Amino acid sequence: MQRDVGSFPLAPGLRAKLIGAGFQTAEELLEIGPCELSKEIGISKEEALETLQIVRRECHSNATRTTGEPETVKKCTALELLEQEQARGFIITFCSALDDILGGGVQLTKITEICGAPGVGKTQLCMQLAVDVQIPECFGGLAGEAVFIDTEGSFIVDRVADIATACVQHCQLIAETHQEEDFQKSLETFSLESILSHIYYFRCHDYTELLAQVYLLPDFLSEHSKVQLVIVDGIAFPFRHDLEDLSLRTRLLNGLAQQLISIANAHKLAVVLTNQMTTRIGQSQSMLVPALGESWGHAATIRLIFHWDNKQRLATLYKSPSQKESTVPFHITPNGFRDVHPPPSSQTPAEIEINPRKRPRLEGENQ
Amino acid sequence: MQQLSGRPLSETDQSLPRMLLGGSSCCGEVGDFEKVVRCGSMATKKLRRAGLSQELCDRLSRHQITTCRDFLCLSLLELMKVTGQSYQNVQKLLCKVSLACAPKMQTAYEMKMKRAINPSSAFLSTTLHGLDKALHGGVACGSLTEVTGPPGCGKTQFCLMMSVLATLPISMGGLHGAVIYIDTESAFGAERLVEIAGHRFPNYFVTEEKLFSMTRNIHLYPELTCDCVLKRIETLEEEIISKKVKLVIIDSIASVVRKEFDMKLQGNLLERSNFLARGASLLKYLAEEFSIPTQIPGLQHLCLLIVFPQQVWVILTNQITTRLNNGLDVQANIVSPADDLCLFEVSGASGSKDQELGYVTAALGNTWSHSVNTRLILQYHDLHTKQVLVAKSPVAPFAAFFYTIENSGLVLQDGKDHPDASWEGCSPILQAIRVRTSILKDGFPSATADTVKLEPPI
Repeated sequence: MQRDVGSFPLAPGLRAKLIGAGFQTAEELLEIGPCELSKEIGISKEEALETLQIVRRECHSNATRTTGEPETVKKCTALELLEQEQARGFIITFCSALDDILGGGVQLTKITEICGAPGVGKTQLCMQLAVDVQIPECFGGLAGEAVFIDTEGSFIVDRVADIATACVQHCQLIAETHQEEDFQKSLETFSLESILSHIYYFRCHDYTELLAQVYLLPDFLSEHSKVQLVIVDGIAFPFRHDLEDLSLRTRLLNGLAQQLISIANAHKLAVVLTNQMTTRIGQSQSMLVPALGESWGHAATIRLIFHWDNKQRLATLYKSPSQKESTVPFHITPNGFRDVHPPPSSQTPAEIEINPRKRPRLEGENQ
Repeated sequence: MQQLSGRPLSETDQSLPRMLLGGSSCCGEVGDFEKVVRCGSMATKKLRRAGLSQELCDRLSRHQITTCRDFLCLSLLELMKVTGQSYQNVQKLLCKVSLACAPKMQTAYEMKMKRAINPSSAFLSTTLHGLDKALHGGVACGSLTEVTGPPGCGKTQFCLMMSVLATLPISMGGLHGAVIYIDTESAFGAERLVEIAGHRFPNYFVTEEKLFSMTRNIHLYPELTCDCVLKRIETLEEEIISKKVKLVIIDSIASVVRKEFDMKLQGNLLERSNFLARGASLLKYLAEEFSIPTQIPGLQHLCLLIVFPQQVWVILTNQITTRLNNGLDVQANIVSPADDLCLFEVSGASGSKDQELGYVTAALGNTWSHSVNTRLILQYHDLHTKQVLVAKSPVAPFAAFFYTIENSGLVLQDGKDHPDASWEGCSPILQAIRVRTSILKDGFPSATADTVKLEPPI
């Protein structure tokens, strides 16, 4: 109640008038009615009413907070968080080695950044994830939908269709070995058409459109509540050539990162960003580092770097709060993102039950 | 011609003679890149059209905020200050302005349906059967395809061939449209074009009338400076609509860049990256808007060479200089990757690995490689045969094909005679490329091709 008038979210001009008229705390403001207020500081009655409503609303939520009912402030114990984390699913990448080093797959409520040189497979992984998030729950997926924000124009529908077809076939083969009813039922809804219809695609041509789209994203997500994955393919591209003012760029990027983090937490979804590589020139050599500078490095919780080693593509987990740094090889096949060597097929039936998305490898299979 | 950058007509007219005198007229006016406004961009949409009230727009323009871009770049507190509105109202305004700028949503399914309605126009077939199959149809519409390789490999021949193909009727696999050919090297030869057309499609081009109508549909624009190229790309939007253009070829981006940006000057690096990135994003925008294939042949040497350790560069230079020095005093600049490296000293040709290099910069290769969607590399195999590699493609795996250059343009060879036709592929920015290393040996053109292997930087 003793809250300072200047701290309310009022228009600056209005604030100045209130302070000029001598109002200092909220209590003083709430004592008078709107007509008196309007006469005293010279504003219209509607404005006065609006001001009082804002002040009242803020004070009310303050009051409930102080009486010990946590409405807006979320507070929970680490045990509750542990239970939540264990129950939460992951988005698999179909490359089991990569899933292992990530601790199960791409995590929800976190931002994962994929950096890499051109052509190494970042967009391929994004397209794979957009399909994988839709895998039905009985197969070990999340049955969610995906938002794909494309700034580079590298999203090719035909390729996504290929990946989706391969994923549907994979699930069909699993369903055949299990012969359970709900598997068959979910397969009916998991088809190429439904997968493609649940990938929401936005093409942003420059950073203004990207900023606008991210502002509007919370509203979009409230309408489409099943979205569990937001992909921004090419967060670096619009910011690297158009912006001369580096401090503006840092500010905009930080703002974007904050908005994405809050979206990830509020809607419990995973955010995946792809970044480019740039060259840092050292004393006697130069190295490839992720673009957008050092401060951007703080935005992502988990960072993967894709790179080449002669003819083999490698993925390195560069930054993670819970997993250790390691490198695994991967392949891009016509079916999508895959392991280099298939995982061992010597699994007991009990293991197969636990992990329904793994199926015994058949001879002569093209993986 | 319409003046889009706002400069008076006389200035543009004078740019031609200035440039012929050899001066790098663009370097001094480098700031003009920012002044060039891209047509059709949502960012420069005026706030008035975004639905804000006139009074608010006037108030904002007093603070120099006139476009959606300016509005969205401010933080919430700054917006409250300049609009004089409360926090909630400012959020509503932000929503309104964002709605005016944000792209429309499509589902992947809708995109597929759109493609399915017009399957033939999703790709332009190259008539090189193996290559078409690998690329799922040919040169993709709506994205940038880059053709690169050492000089003399056939990039311009490839472009001439594609020009002819684009003008053919749809029943023959063409696009039945016009072609815009932006030529920076004066490499375009109309006679060669007609020769290719006549030999490749002898049954179609039987009358002179057919040949003339084909050539009438190919619009040639010689541009000699970066600024001109950029301005030309600006005006493309209107040309494409008025002339019903289906294929845009830029031959070649590298030569203007190399001419104007002296890589030894450090400041030029940023300008060059900006120019390339701006060009790439303009072309991508056009490609998507009109879903036409956009082709850019020609970094004559590789934009694939990005960062490399000193040894590799030394090997490259040495192989070439020693070979050429056999009886001929030719400069190593013929194949110099001066686009991508900034060398200060290369001492000697002894092949020692300890040579000092100054420093290497990588802007062109890296930035540019991120911008193109598909990359085809043309390289030498032996005297007559050359190879085309699919080095980067979102739909195709790595693939290699042999071809020769004949009267009818490029002709694919069977892979059976060539044992090492397989290619596992590697990072597209580090692909080893076969260059033609000896020009004359004992007075005769000889055909050894050396593979330049590059090591990854890390």
